[in-house]
Amino acid sequence: MNFYEHTYITSPELSFQETDSVRKKITDILEKNDGKILKEEDWGIRSLAYPIKKNSKGKYSNIYIEGNNKVIKEIELFERYDERVMKFLSIKIKKIPEESSELVKTS
Amino acid sequence: MMKRKKDKKKFNKSGGANSLFNKTNQRQSKSCPLSGKNAPEINYKNLKLLKKYVSDTAKILPSRITNVSLGKQRALSKEIKKARVLALMPYVGN
Repeated sequence: MNFYEHTYITSPELSFQETDSVRKKITDILEKNDGKILKEEDWGIRSLAYPIKKNSKGKYSNIYIEGNNKVIKEIELFERYDERVMKFLSIKIKKIPEESSELVKTS
Repeated sequence: MMKRKKDKKKFNKSGGANSLFNKTNQRQSKSCPLSGKNAPEINYKNLKLLKKYVSDTAKILPSRITNVSLGKQRALSKEIKKARVLALMPYVGN
């Protein structure tokens, strides 16, 4: 089992229900491949450094996952073909940080 | 005339050697700002830190300007590239 950090950007015009359904699908994939979400961070809507799919803003969500490499492959496969997800990045990490990052929405 | 020229040459030679030696003494190497005990953590989420090591046109600054050590420079450039993927930092500036 490894630790992963996964960040994905959804388009900002989505309603709360739609972003929640994206999250639900990820948790479903995790359950199927016996992975777990250990920590979650919401970075809120941020302005992008460059336009992605003609959007100048994006909604960032960050999750810390425990699981094997299959989980990450499945999640990325789903996100690649889902139009609601604009971009994603997953990184293998050794430790899960205890403090929340600076990017967490404060307001 | 000939004598004078010879004298000059001799003077230059000794002077040149001295100035070279002095230069190495005058230049003091600055220590790496990202090494040491109280050094900040290099992470792609730490945007305030990363923006210091990027030029106006969003290029990564060379370590010979910023005095970052070789290992830390490698880590820094990797984290900047991660931040670029997530559109937290630009690939090209204005």
